[in-house]
Amino acid sequence: MHRREFLKYAAIAGCGLCLGEKLDLITSAEAAERRDLVVAQGVGKSPSLITMAAIGAFGGMKKFISRGDIVVIKPNIGWDRTPEQGANTNPEVVAAIVKLCFDAGAKKVKVFDRSVNDPRRCYKQSGIADAVSSLGAEVSFVDDRRFKDVSIKGQVLKSWPLYADALEADKIINVPIAKHHGLAKLTMSMKNWMGIMGGQRGRIHQKIGESLADICLVVKPTLTVLDAVRILTTNGPQGGSLADVKRLDTIIVGVDQVAIDSYGATLFDMRGSDLSYVKAGAAAGLGIMDLSKLKIKKLNV
Amino acid sequence: MSKKTYRKISQGLFLLLFLFLFIQTESKGNDTLGYPVKLFLDFDPLIFITTLFASHGRKIPSAFFLSLSLIVMTVLLGRIFCGWICPLGTLHNIIGSLKKSHSLKVHVSWHKAKYYILFLLVSSSIFTLQITGIMDPISLLIRSFSLSIFPLLNHGIRGFFDSIYNANIPAVVNLSEPAYDFLKRNLLSFRDLYYIQAILIGLLFIVIISLNLLERRFWCKYVCPLGAMLGLLSGYSLLKREVSEGCTSCGICANRCQGGALQEKNSVWKNTECLVCFDCDDLCPQNAVTFGIGRNAHPSIDLGRRQVLLSLASGMLAVPLVRSTPFSRSDFSNPGLLRPPGSLEEKDFLKRCVKCGECMKVCLTNGLQPTLLEAGLEGLWSPRLIPRIGYCEYRCTLCGQVCPTGAIQRLPLEEKMKTKIGLAMIDKGRCLPYAHSTPCIVCEEVCPTSPKAIWFEEFSVKDRGGEEIIVKQPHIDLDRCIGCGICEAKCPVGNRPAIYVTNIGESRSKTNQLLLL
Repeated sequence: MHRREFLKYAAIAGCGLCLGEKLDLITSAEAAERRDLVVAQGVGKSPSLITMAAIGAFGGMKKFISRGDIVVIKPNIGWDRTPEQGANTNPEVVAAIVKLCFDAGAKKVKVFDRSVNDPRRCYKQSGIADAVSSLGAEVSFVDDRRFKDVSIKGQVLKSWPLYADALEADKIINVPIAKHHGLAKLTMSMKNWMGIMGGQRGRIHQKIGESLADICLVVKPTLTVLDAVRILTTNGPQGGSLADVKRLDTIIVGVDQVAIDSYGATLFDMRGSDLSYVKAGAAAGLGIMDLSKLKIKKLNV
Repeated sequence: MSKKTYRKISQGLFLLLFLFLFIQTESKGNDTLGYPVKLFLDFDPLIFITTLFASHGRKIPSAFFLSLSLIVMTVLLGRIFCGWICPLGTLHNIIGSLKKSHSLKVHVSWHKAKYYILFLLVSSSIFTLQITGIMDPISLLIRSFSLSIFPLLNHGIRGFFDSIYNANIPAVVNLSEPAYDFLKRNLLSFRDLYYIQAILIGLLFIVIISLNLLERRFWCKYVCPLGAMLGLLSGYSLLKREVSEGCTSCGICANRCQGGALQEKNSVWKNTECLVCFDCDDLCPQNAVTFGIGRNAHPSIDLGRRQVLLSLASGMLAVPLVRSTPFSRSDFSNPGLLRPPGSLEEKDFLKRCVKCGECMKVCLTNGLQPTLLEAGLEGLWSPRLIPRIGYCEYRCTLCGQVCPTGAIQRLPLEEKMKTKIGLAMIDKGRCLPYAHSTPCIVCEEVCPTSPKAIWFEEFSVKDRGGEEIIVKQPHIDLDRCIGCGICEAKCPVGNRPAIYVTNIGESRSKTNQLLLL
């Protein structure tokens, strides 16, 4: 993220914090964009096609990625599971985004995650490493030396070691998968940032809602692409049984992570307000939880 | 090129092959490794024959029959394995070359020691005690490299590059990091490795290697039980050394003989001790030495009937001696002794494990560690999972794939995912939701079985201020739990986790059970 862009967002977020519900008053292009959501479904279509259509309907990747950008794409590669098991982001979705970034002129695209299981197995078995390295993306394992203490000044987290590559990139695209979670109920875009947290990140479960909202104070993705090609309905976040996987062939694109997660909850017959971190995020002015205030464009691929 | 040059090329190539296979004994994320990494162990006839004896010939891995080729080769050509192939022998040569003066001193009677060691090992294996791996050269080399020398190399190189990185001088870091990346991809281990007995095993290896400075190939001449086995076989070999009339008895050959097969000028050539290095052929100023094929007339070595019987008896007596501890009782089990998934029942496991360290080298998480006395003296350096160091990865079957003797059976993935190595239990006095009214679900989150073996009961508890908090208290479904230990490894109550695994309920045991079922 460029400094100027960061300042712009920070100013908007700041206004949002002050204005609260009056956020509607802001008429800048960014604010409008933040309220947009594209939900693309293509039953039986390839995940790659659905992803491209969704991003196209959101204005196209060129709107977000400039020539020469260093882009970080952060999928969920947390588990030693295969794509069919729906525990990691779909590799074709990640590959499509990598391709769109390069087409938009990105100089370098980096893909990584701090896995929970053995990283070698996660990268390989998820299919993500093979799918994107052939496109020229840099797939690297997390290097412990590159976690830097970042001041957060959140409600719960005052500072935390975060991965430097994620913070230093020109653009960062969050590509989570929608799935069940034992404590958070669901894990989608906000919780996906646990993958750039160093240290003993398991401790944040003690105050999960506030902690995730705190992380989102310092990580502002250029774009979020929620993979709901397959969703994991129970035994999350790593599943294991195909019986728990539901195929939706859906991709949701937006900028506002709170809005995306709030919409994502409906895929599981829940509401955004059922999720502690969505509530905390909305309360902190990070985004919009109320779906009626969003401009949702539905698309059939 | 002289025969000696061919021999050196052969040694170099086999050492490189050994090191290549050693480096490849590491996952790249696939279900298999893609290389026959235990090849040198497959070809080891000493491990083959003692495993055959100790396990009474049951379930012998078919790869072991490769070692018969080494027996045939030795019967035909003598100890060509020692001189041309053995990677430990080559290392001895390399270290021995640091010794400048060539000692004339050959301890004739010491040669016999290795045969007595061999008899002891074989005799104890006949009585089901498998301790060969402690001294078998291939097993010793892989174990020492895996658990000590290679980790040491890694720490050294990583420390070097990390200190450059941390010094943070851009011009230097820009050069050092690509070099570091290259090493990480091609040589270094995926993660920093830590083994509980790295120091002991490393020092022992250094001592063994340093004996070359006392006398070249000390280990091969006086200690190596595989060398002794091949020596006995080569007593009947067709390799024949002949000295022509031109010999001036200058003694150079005896002086430089690697195996000590020629102990003094004009002495009889002992084919059992000859490493077929061809140094004497190469060095002879008169060109009087030739090697050919023919029957050897003289008997090779006289070991003395009494000493042979004594060593055989010692091997026999070692069996009840090491088994006179509670570890041998079927109802006694060290709770922390978590054997890798697929391990045979403890008694059968010990009859096969040769402590080569392959499983510990390949373990994804570094969790497999060598025992000291946790499994009794008989189990010295056998593998044990310590979840706090590393858990057992649910979908990995590599330890069973690299085990040369079948002590750890190669399990199909579906079966491995159901194999219990123990059961997890909760320490309610330390668990956050139980003891401290604090939400935490990490154990459940990481539990890999489907459905999860950890389930919750919601409780309404009060904090100090009287405020109500809903916590999810974990319970363990002992039917589902396989004891992989990821819960223990990731538990936030880190230094003494609030959930931990002991080996009760392990699939391989009939006696160490808990549930009625």
